[in-house]
Amino acid sequence: MFEKKNLGSGFSATTILIITAVLIFVSAQSYLEMRTPDPDVDRVVPANGFARKKLSDYFDGLKETPADTDVFIQQGEEPGGTVLILGGTHANEPASTLAAVLFLENTRINQGRMIVVPFANIMGRTHTYPQDGHPQIYHIKKEGSKSRIFRFGARVTNPVHQWPNPDIYIHPGSGQTMAGVERSNLNRAHPGRPDGCITEKLAYGFLKLIQKEKVDLAIDLHEASPEYPVVNAMVAHERAMELAAIVTMELETQNISIRLEPSPKQLHGLTHREWGDHTDALAVLLETANPAMGRLRGRTDEELILTGTDKAYRKAFDLGQLYIPYEDGTEPIAERVARHVAVVKELAFNLEMVREGKGIDLEGVPDYDKIVDLGVGAFLAD
Amino acid sequence: MIISWIYWVIVVLVILLVVRCLYEEKSLREQLVAAMVLIPLVLRALFIK
Repeated sequence: MFEKKNLGSGFSATTILIITAVLIFVSAQSYLEMRTPDPDVDRVVPANGFARKKLSDYFDGLKETPADTDVFIQQGEEPGGTVLILGGTHANEPASTLAAVLFLENTRINQGRMIVVPFANIMGRTHTYPQDGHPQIYHIKKEGSKSRIFRFGARVTNPVHQWPNPDIYIHPGSGQTMAGVERSNLNRAHPGRPDGCITEKLAYGFLKLIQKEKVDLAIDLHEASPEYPVVNAMVAHERAMELAAIVTMELETQNISIRLEPSPKQLHGLTHREWGDHTDALAVLLETANPAMGRLRGRTDEELILTGTDKAYRKAFDLGQLYIPYEDGTEPIAERVARHVAVVKELAFNLEMVREGKGIDLEGVPDYDKIVDLGVGAFLAD
Repeated sequence: MIISWIYWVIVVLVILLVVRCLYEEKSLREQLVAAMVLIPLVLRALFIK
């Protein structure tokens, strides 16, 4: 219609250019907000006893880089084992971060030590995936009108911090080939290298943390699409398999069903493989199911992140395509966080069974049922 | 890294060409298309997205 009348002119070009500049300005503000969020966003309130350190305290190469992240350590009165809880490896997996924050804000350690990293890859928290339509933040409701706000980021490091990626990524330690984008994925970069790209340096920082703090049990928290087979699951390195099997049975007695998967020996770059191979820690990775990440999802908004309610996923469940029970068509964040918390607690409580003298005794962390009943917000600080 | 700056120069060059196209184009629709192309390019050139 426009071509016939040839309405384009110098005046229209200038007008369009001005409107475009305004749109660019507004978009830029929105994107930049994720890099320098309001102080209330991603705020954590560590429980008494936690000391704050930085990952760069363990690997100098991270100092003054966008990858440097907070590390919180609490030492119990009695000696015992050391557990590392890593949340936020992938910033689009909120149950991972929230479970770590819940431990950080509630735990009192009586025996042993707890190390919590709530935002493992903060470079993934400064952007969302193009065309995925994810909201930039989500609210965890507390009593009354209060809420806590967290960023919903992306699986990989922001390209602003690491670019370009090759077509094929060759994992440095093993020579394994992967899709190029995996070079920006923290959970394909382990054990990392001190002179690699920023994501590999970050992975190397965690290796040094585990080695220097003599971590006994290292737990990496994740979420995945409901149509992915490894959900509501625990992936364990072969040295951690005995502990993982004990915990799986313990959880069955609490009516928390969890798949136990051995860490594939030929699948490199992931925490459960590389931490197990390169450190003395017993390495496990936990997965819950998050419909907001899946390819089958429909409307993508904060509601989907928090409730997991999606018509398309309900249909997929009816067709037998999901790996989670989804009869009621929901997968609420409280249930996903509760699952992570319950598994981590059982792993910590049973560590002494496989490592004599390395027991961990903690209190203050709510049970599965309480989190499901009262919601995550009930256990986060104001 | 040198490759990032080569990329940046290419992006800026394409932005200039698109702006020139915007002014030379006689069709309003094509001008609008050029404007839409400009948005991601400028955000990239500014290292925002």
